[in-house]
Amino acid sequence: MALLDVKGLNISFSGYGQTRQVLHDVSFSVGKSERVALIGETGSGKSVTAKAILGTLPGNASVDSGAIAFDGLDLFRQSMAEREKLKGTAFSIIMQDPLSSFNPVFRIGQHLDDVMYHADRRRGVVSSARERKARILDTLRKVQLADAQRVYDAWPFELSGGMRQRVLIALALLHRPRMLIADEPGTALDVTTQDEILRLINRLVDDEGLSLLMITHNLGVVRQTADRVLVMRHGVIVEQGPLAQVFDAPQDQYTRDLMAAVPPLYGPGVTDQPVSDMPPILTLTGVQKVYSKRGLFKTGEGHLAVDDINIKVAHGEIFGLAGESGSGKTTVARMMMGLLEPTKGKIAVNGTPATGARRLSQIVYQNPGTSLNPKRTVAQTLAVPLAHTEAAADRQARMEELLTLVRLPVSFLSKYPHELSGGQKQRVAIARALAAKPRLIILDEPTSALDVSVQKTVIDLLLELRESLGLTYVIISHDLSLMRNFCSRIAIMLKGRIVEQGTPAEVFAETRHPYTRALISAIPVLTEAEQAQKPTVTEEERAKFLVPTGAEVSAPAGAAE
Amino acid sequence: MGRQIIEGILRRTASVLLVLFVLSLMIFVLARVVPGDPARMALGPSATAEQVAELQAEMGLDQPVIVQYGRYMGNALRGDLGQSLVTNRPVTDDIADFLPATLELVLVTVVLVFVISVPLGVLTARYRDRWVDNVGRFFSLFGVTIPSFLFAVGLQLLAGSFFPDWPILGRVDYQLNAPDGPTGLLLIDSLAHGRFDVFVDALQHLAFPALALAMAGIGQITRITRSAMIENLRKDHVLTLRSFGVPERVVVFRYLLKLSSIAPLTIMGLEFASLIGNAFVVEMVFGWGGFASYGLTAILQKDLNALMAVVLISGLFFIFANLLVDLALSLIDPRLRLRGAKA
Repeated sequence: MALLDVKGLNISFSGYGQTRQVLHDVSFSVGKSERVALIGETGSGKSVTAKAILGTLPGNASVDSGAIAFDGLDLFRQSMAEREKLKGTAFSIIMQDPLSSFNPVFRIGQHLDDVMYHADRRRGVVSSARERKARILDTLRKVQLADAQRVYDAWPFELSGGMRQRVLIALALLHRPRMLIADEPGTALDVTTQDEILRLINRLVDDEGLSLLMITHNLGVVRQTADRVLVMRHGVIVEQGPLAQVFDAPQDQYTRDLMAAVPPLYGPGVTDQPVSDMPPILTLTGVQKVYSKRGLFKTGEGHLAVDDINIKVAHGEIFGLAGESGSGKTTVARMMMGLLEPTKGKIAVNGTPATGARRLSQIVYQNPGTSLNPKRTVAQTLAVPLAHTEAAADRQARMEELLTLVRLPVSFLSKYPHELSGGQKQRVAIARALAAKPRLIILDEPTSALDVSVQKTVIDLLLELRESLGLTYVIISHDLSLMRNFCSRIAIMLKGRIVEQGTPAEVFAETRHPYTRALISAIPVLTEAEQAQKPTVTEEERAKFLVPTGAEVSAPAGAAE
Repeated sequence: MGRQIIEGILRRTASVLLVLFVLSLMIFVLARVVPGDPARMALGPSATAEQVAELQAEMGLDQPVIVQYGRYMGNALRGDLGQSLVTNRPVTDDIADFLPATLELVLVTVVLVFVISVPLGVLTARYRDRWVDNVGRFFSLFGVTIPSFLFAVGLQLLAGSFFPDWPILGRVDYQLNAPDGPTGLLLIDSLAHGRFDVFVDALQHLAFPALALAMAGIGQITRITRSAMIENLRKDHVLTLRSFGVPERVVVFRYLLKLSSIAPLTIMGLEFASLIGNAFVVEMVFGWGGFASYGLTAILQKDLNALMAVVLISGLFFIFANLLVDLALSLIDPRLRLRGAKA
């Protein structure tokens, strides 16, 4: 008998006098010690499914029909108190975002202890504070947090994202549940950290014989962590089956589209962008940036953000800056735009020394949801740059032209950001960047906030625009599989320095620096064939170059980008 | 860590001194620029020109303003704030008499604001858009919009019509022979002397003035607490605790309340300025005979020394209250401790 059995689940949300059905007749099961992945994009209903199992649906949700059975127990027929008792003990969730899942004004240990105390009490177990702490420290060690005592005493902001994600896993394991529900674990983290987190979850599931329901939008993650796959779209499960079957021969068109949208790392599907042979638009020579701290009595020593950066960006090229958070890639981009002045070194634009390509450059930010002002219509947003570049009479025509360029209907001019989808918002952000007729566009993680299928259309649009407008791109990202296919040249940054530079084909085929190897090997890929081609990293190299997420208490978050 | 804290305190003290200096200079000059001769006002219309000139010379009013200011500050630093023209006593003695009354009123008001508005803010946030919320929101809007003197008069009328025995003037019934000292705060002194009857009487006298004074703060803090709670209720860390079955009351009253008290505390510090301002009016209505009524007389009579003292002490109060707020905030939020040390 299956451990978890979901049958004919229909759930709807009501609000503002409307009712919207979000789950349609969802049925699936998770067996004992089975790993099942639930794949879907934003709004597909995968998180709602998890919340229905846990019993944390918001107040405006209603279960219209269907049943969820856990180990034969019909969950919807249990009293509130009975359901509370199951939380954390029968099944528990690994929360998605390690940075926001802890209350910032309580210590890590306080969170863990409160969860444990109340779970104990519900089960009628009397536990002393000392005994609870011993159990908590044990669990923290289990998730490879070596200095458990220090983690226990730390404030959330004192731990790195990877460490906090580990604590979230420990939280889920506290009462030895039989099933783990993982909601996009590690998505908010760097690729190497995410890789470690996934390995950890896999190992724990193996060791303890747990069942796993992995909720994710990343197909590469699915390949690593699932035996069986469910594909969900608009609240309907469109396909399900064993991993190999779904990945090798997807039956549903949507599954096929999802698979096709993932940029390949190796193999025949990889695109090589042509290398530009034009003169450089931007040259950085020996650039260094120090952020200085000031004390009351003396000027403190600064923080070396980037050092010895030598970059030539040619006209018409797509230059990629890859690296993890805190590697200094955003600082470099800001100096390129002339928003920051280098402490040392020279920047030249079109061969002449300058403080950065201020007039020639524009930027597209990572998250269009926050980079567009929610109180301004698309037209009002576009009007800001146009006020400096166009005569008042021409502005309307130029706005319409810009929207046509980014493939949006002209009627969108009167819309507010909340009326647009993520992909549409990012197109508006691109249109805004184009408004001032730049020659160089900085793309700061332009697709990482978007669903895979939308990512592809945005990338295709960017490629077309470069072709038709003759633009040059500098893209900042940690998504190496995207950069492999999108960039004509890439530079890998580590701790403020460039450790490797070249065309993607060169860098991926013959990786020189071990850090680059570690980065590439951490990327989740779709096929065994690609997995086999990834470079391997020795444990020493891993220890030397990767941020040790298990041991050290890092600098406070927020200093990074 | 230790050095950073000392640095923080030094920086703070320096800025307090600077603020006090600028404040004193401004009020000193302002008081001398407005028309009206303090010496003439003190002596009355029948005094001769010679007598007025004599008093002016005695008060140093014939000197340039800058010299007057220097002399005043020199004396002030030695603890001498000059003579009051109205009471004909040293200003320091007056302050010692009148300040405790106001201090008591303001302290009770602050307590009242917190006791009423924090639970109300939590309730309205928790039951958002339900009837509790609607009543609470109406109540807080009521408090914010209606000026405190109207509340004061309204409460007096209410008492007069329905509870004729309820005291509506002064601090305490004089027939009770309230004990003196040690603090001047009746609530504390009466308990120190074991006079429970005085304590109850003082509390009765305090109730209406404190309520009238508190209404604006209650409205403001309720609204701020409510919106901070609503904002934080949506956060992921609330979902974390709920997902693991931590009871709702613990989630709300422990985890959320601490996080959501940051904004109201900050606002409370700023509100303190209008609290002192309103105290001037409320004290007059209730015949409180405190520091604020003393200040009001000083303004009307151009009692320069008394005026300076009242303004400076009000300023000190405000600064001290905000210092306490900052201290409380850094106890609540570990991130502030770090940033405060760094900034």
